[in-house]
Amino acid sequence: MTVDLTQFHDAFFEESFEALDAMEAALLKLDIGAPDPELINTIFRVAHSIKGGSATFGFTDIASFTHSLETLLDELRSGAMAVTDQVSDVLLKSVDVMRAMLRAVQAKQPIDAQRVSDLQFDLEVIIARKHAAPPPSAAPQAAAPQAAAARWQVRFRPYRELLARGNDPLRMLRELGELGEMQVRIDAQSLPALTDLQPQDCHLAWTIELSGEVPEEAIRQVFDWAEGDCELQIGRTAEAAAEPQVEQPPAPATPAATEPAPSETVAAQADSQAEGPPEAPAATGAAASAPRAEPASKPEAAVSAHGDSGSIRVSVDKIDELMNTVGELVITQAMLSQLGGQFDGPQAEQLRAGLAQLERNMRELQESVMRVRMLPISFVFSRFPRMVRDLAHRLGKQIELKLTGEQTELDKTVLEKIGDPLVHLVRNCIDHGIEPPEKRVAAGKPAAGTVHLDATHRGGNIAVEVSDDGGGLDKERILAKARARGLIGANDTLSDAEIYELIFLPGFSTAEKTTDVSGRGVGMDVVRRNVKSLGGKIEVSSEAGRGSRFTITLPLTLAIVDGQSVAVGSETYIVPLISIVESMQLKNGNVSRLSGQAEVFSFRGDYLPIIRLHEVFGVEPHTRALHEGLVVVAEGDGRRVGLFVDDLLGQQQVVIKSLETNYGHIEGISGATILGDGSVALILDVPGLIRVASMRIAA
Amino acid sequence: MVLQPECTLADAAELKGALCALLAHEATVTLDGALVDRIDTAALQLLAAFVRDRRLAGRAVEWRAVSRAMHSAAQLLGMGSMLSLSEAAQ
Repeated sequence: MTVDLTQFHDAFFEESFEALDAMEAALLKLDIGAPDPELINTIFRVAHSIKGGSATFGFTDIASFTHSLETLLDELRSGAMAVTDQVSDVLLKSVDVMRAMLRAVQAKQPIDAQRVSDLQFDLEVIIARKHAAPPPSAAPQAAAPQAAAARWQVRFRPYRELLARGNDPLRMLRELGELGEMQVRIDAQSLPALTDLQPQDCHLAWTIELSGEVPEEAIRQVFDWAEGDCELQIGRTAEAAAEPQVEQPPAPATPAATEPAPSETVAAQADSQAEGPPEAPAATGAAASAPRAEPASKPEAAVSAHGDSGSIRVSVDKIDELMNTVGELVITQAMLSQLGGQFDGPQAEQLRAGLAQLERNMRELQESVMRVRMLPISFVFSRFPRMVRDLAHRLGKQIELKLTGEQTELDKTVLEKIGDPLVHLVRNCIDHGIEPPEKRVAAGKPAAGTVHLDATHRGGNIAVEVSDDGGGLDKERILAKARARGLIGANDTLSDAEIYELIFLPGFSTAEKTTDVSGRGVGMDVVRRNVKSLGGKIEVSSEAGRGSRFTITLPLTLAIVDGQSVAVGSETYIVPLISIVESMQLKNGNVSRLSGQAEVFSFRGDYLPIIRLHEVFGVEPHTRALHEGLVVVAEGDGRRVGLFVDDLLGQQQVVIKSLETNYGHIEGISGATILGDGSVALILDVPGLIRVASMRIAA
Repeated sequence: MVLQPECTLADAAELKGALCALLAHEATVTLDGALVDRIDTAALQLLAAFVRDRRLAGRAVEWRAVSRAMHSAAQLLGMGSMLSLSEAAQ
């Protein structure tokens, strides 16, 4: 019988990926020649922890590679070796290789052994060369004393699950021992009888006295990896000595020694004690020469333990389930509200007040649950500094990357899917937008081009902008290319906006030569498709010689949409508010019929086609006369149309139910929702609707 | 009982099984850690519980030998005296 470690893999991968992001960010901040020792420490610790974790889980390739990496980092940390451009490049590559290895292992795919061993060889060459040559004269003060000589007392009380998460106190104490002289006292009071002991649970705690010139930060960093999995108290010995023995701490500040973890652990502990030999804990207490803490302090201990860990990891599935239930509740609440309106009598008023209260609470609940799924967009933005650096390097351009609004939050699903489109856009800006330095200087601009990524909330949406101060979109070249490809006629005249729209057509690319960066013509159309699949839209504006700006507008969440409900005959449809320009009543005079059967109406100097929803969906309408119904001017894929409907019913937030999962894909429909009266309404997909309608007209 | 060279969480359940089987053993149990090359907190915690439980039941445990790796790991964790490792030859 062995412990199934695979159950802990996910947590290890997740934490490792996060740590690698941190390592990458630290590497990018590292100054060549005069590195910040704290940054090197951070980088070292990531490598060290991944090494430890992968060794625990038996990922020997990763452990071996990180070992070499760690050796090199150790040289940097001790100041025996200087941080050069070459070293920094190799370290960045190592981040990539580690990420690739972790991904491969996670997906149970083979590791790219050649790539790994090549880089490992590079690492070892750098290390070997250092040993052959005398160390650099000006060794950086990696171990610079930042604190006066002092004695620290560290109280380290792991939660039960610490070991299972791939953390080993042994490793931490070993690291701590490297910082200074150390005395360790173990607290094994909570250790249950062997028969009750789950091998992957940690029941031990330690009090460590550390002497030497050690900054507190360095101590904390030793335990970085275990953050959230343990209680940690660091204090000067002078203060600590004034306190009673560790086994009898003052209850609220220092949790009771016997209870390491949250309340569920407390309960489990009580059970195991009840089942196990009763004298066992008391006897261990004696062995540790201290009395047991009173049970009365248990709840406080649990509270304090919770207070210490600021966050918990929850699987997305659970949150989705919660979200789903909330969605159902919203529907039920809408049903009740509708029903409540029909009651009369003395208690009806009370009922309605209660329902109004319910509605308010529902909205709050819905918002809270949605917020749980929200993450700051910095998760996506953080990959760009590295990418921009590499690209600029490769293309011989100077680029300054500006990130703003990184704290803007959006739904995790949206966040995950917006990464690739943004990468495309930023690549395009650097490759096509920003000119080479000499050209920029000749045009009177600074040699370094700026790429700006910005995220802001706009109403119920989030707008992400990618802009550059490069040459802007070249209208003439776009037109020439579009004509050459037969995308437009030789004599068509297009407005600026229409010209820019051309770049979103499949197979369109204006790069004079195809580079490995961009220019294969699979870019902007894919970007638009991805953005659209998220229920968002992308717009472009550009000014020759001044740069271009791409704006992606996205809904905050994929689960709920702000919609306008419209009536067509006996059916109700939802038009997403993001697609609506305005709604209006048509007069007979401003509708004309073109050859064939297409109807158009004039709207602010433009002629827009009319789509009669009753025709598209085969519904019997209340009216076929255009002036008796209403027209909703909607926009999709840069085209505007008028949707002819019987009536507007009202605006509301609707919970999206996938049609694809429950039925199948229908062009022109993005999903369905359940209305307050229990009936189902279809949610319109305006771009799809435009396609369906234009096919009908063409047919 | 001879401890394996790898005494880590991955094999801890096995170790626990082996130790549990020895818990009620009447005669002195002799542990041999001479081969231990890698050992982690999980394994040491099991050993600590074993040694303690044996003592509580008035049954003896002794060490034949302890490898350097195991010795230093136990010292780092402050477990030397709990395990009575000092008596063991390195």
